Amino acid sequence: MAKIWVFSDMASRYPELLAAAASLGSEINALIVGSDEAAAKALSQGAGSVTLLPADDSRMVEDYVPTIAKYVSEGGTPAVVLISATRRGKAVAAKLGVVLNAGVVNEVTSLKLGDGVVVTHAVLGGLARGTDKVTSPVAVLTMANGAFEPLPEDASKTGSVTKADFVEPPFRIKRIERRAKQASNVDLAKARRIVSVGRGLKAQADLAMVRELASALDAEVGCSRPIAEGENWLERERYVGITGVQVKADVYLALGISGQIQHMVGANGSKTIFAVNKDKNAPIFQSADYGLVGDIYKVVPAMTALLKK
Amino acid sequence: MNIVTCFKLVPEEQDIVVNSDRTLNLEKANTKISLYDLNAVEAGTELAAAIPGSKVNALSVGGKRLENTKARKDILSRGPDALYAVIDPSLESALPRETAAALAAAVTKIGGFDVILCGEGSGDLYAQQVGLLLGSLLSVPVVNDVSKLTAGEGTVTVERTLETEVEVLSVPLPAVICVTSDINTPKIPSMKTILAAGKKPVTSWSCADLGITPGAAPVVVQSVLAPEQADRKKVILEGDSDSNVAAFVESLRKTL
Repeated sequence: MAKIWVFSDMASRYPELLAAAASLGSEINALIVGSDEAAAKALSQGAGSVTLLPADDSRMVEDYVPTIAKYVSEGGTPAVVLISATRRGKAVAAKLGVVLNAGVVNEVTSLKLGDGVVVTHAVLGGLARGTDKVTSPVAVLTMANGAFEPLPEDASKTGSVTKADFVEPPFRIKRIERRAKQASNVDLAKARRIVSVGRGLKAQADLAMVRELASALDAEVGCSRPIAEGENWLERERYVGITGVQVKADVYLALGISGQIQHMVGANGSKTIFAVNKDKNAPIFQSADYGLVGDIYKVVPAMTALLKK
Repeated sequence: MNIVTCFKLVPEEQDIVVNSDRTLNLEKANTKISLYDLNAVEAGTELAAAIPGSKVNALSVGGKRLENTKARKDILSRGPDALYAVIDPSLESALPRETAAALAAAVTKIGGFDVILCGEGSGDLYAQQVGLLLGSLLSVPVVNDVSKLTAGEGTVTVERTLETEVEVLSVPLPAVICVTSDINTPKIPSMKTILAAGKKPVTSWSCADLGITPGAAPVVVQSVLAPEQADRKKVILEGDSDSNVAAFVESLRKTL
């Protein structure tokens, strides 16, 4: 049986990592930088045991790589290490890949254990899905946000908690400063309803009408890449697409979005897609369940009024 | 400062044809520099401009696409002083680990470096790990997601934009830095730099020249397939009349 390890630099990602781990095997160990409470939480979420890595504010997350590598090697093979596909998670994964001589795949959307670990992930800007087999005795995978549904918590579950010794990294990168980013609390990957806006929007101020419609639908606001990265009208966390968020909403309403493949890869996981675009030849209508050819400046306020009735 | 900027040549996505069995035909696809690598090249050129006496070498490893003279000229017109290309059939569709190993061997043969710059991922695989693997294989510090880069005395100061915070780090050199697409806006080559590019030196090596032999790959590709089209209803109403909007909202209401 393969030994499964999970690690995340964000506490909020453990539940889905543990769900992914449970789909692979039963010998699951959570590596956590944190407290006994965090350990108990992980046990209730599906970890069989926990290895607590000593917290120290002067350390970078990547400084834990030699420590993680030590525990994973001692655990024996075959082994699978599941890490959240965050920015730091990917850095940890690649470094572990070299230290443990393990194959690494990022942004994994599905996985299966057999003769090796078979994983899928998007390639070619989302035009295609790659299926890879990791054949090395240790596989290191970063899991795409929202790819797995967390399991129900069970507070009665217990397991062993080991306090790990810190293994010094070969060199330390000095952290000069650490500042909070203008926090975006939105996690679009988990939103049930999304109203998304694209280039059809002419000015940032016009986001008000989009927000109003979203609020009438109790939905989150999303966008295509130009709105987040070209115009900077919305946070990057709201950008739906291949290099942004891949959503799994029940309802996805695309406003003034042409529907290029790079966007649709992020939106296609939605159950029902609605689209409004003034160009009847826009590719979005090929990917929509319900479409309306029209001007969002006329349609959006009208929709809001009808929904509020 | 001795700077190496890594880049990859990738197929133009727009030219890729999806076959009826969902496999992809890349044969007719033109070659271009992976978009994210343009930011790495620009960052390398800007870093060199800030420190007199710097040299920028562009480096790529891959298959036949690297023989493309237009692409070679393209990269050299963007600032690098010289180009090193490792061309080998075994690198034709190399995965990250093999790519990083070839880059590491090539950097060593070029004769050292202070900073190696990589993009955030390639336009084709977007594996987002080659730069990180390269730094680890070379046993030097490596930082990803760098959105600002400033040279210091034997160090570089980088800003790293993460999910919920920004980290400012002092990285001792030599080091590998992977930059984001937000770090700069790549300049469009001028006629002058395009003409000058043709006169810059290009060195080609094979894997044998570097003394590397492909070992057992830790990851193998099983398939690359276009996604199955979800069966969408495609109920499209033409025109934004009040009745159409009402019908559209009614469909939306039923789905909620």
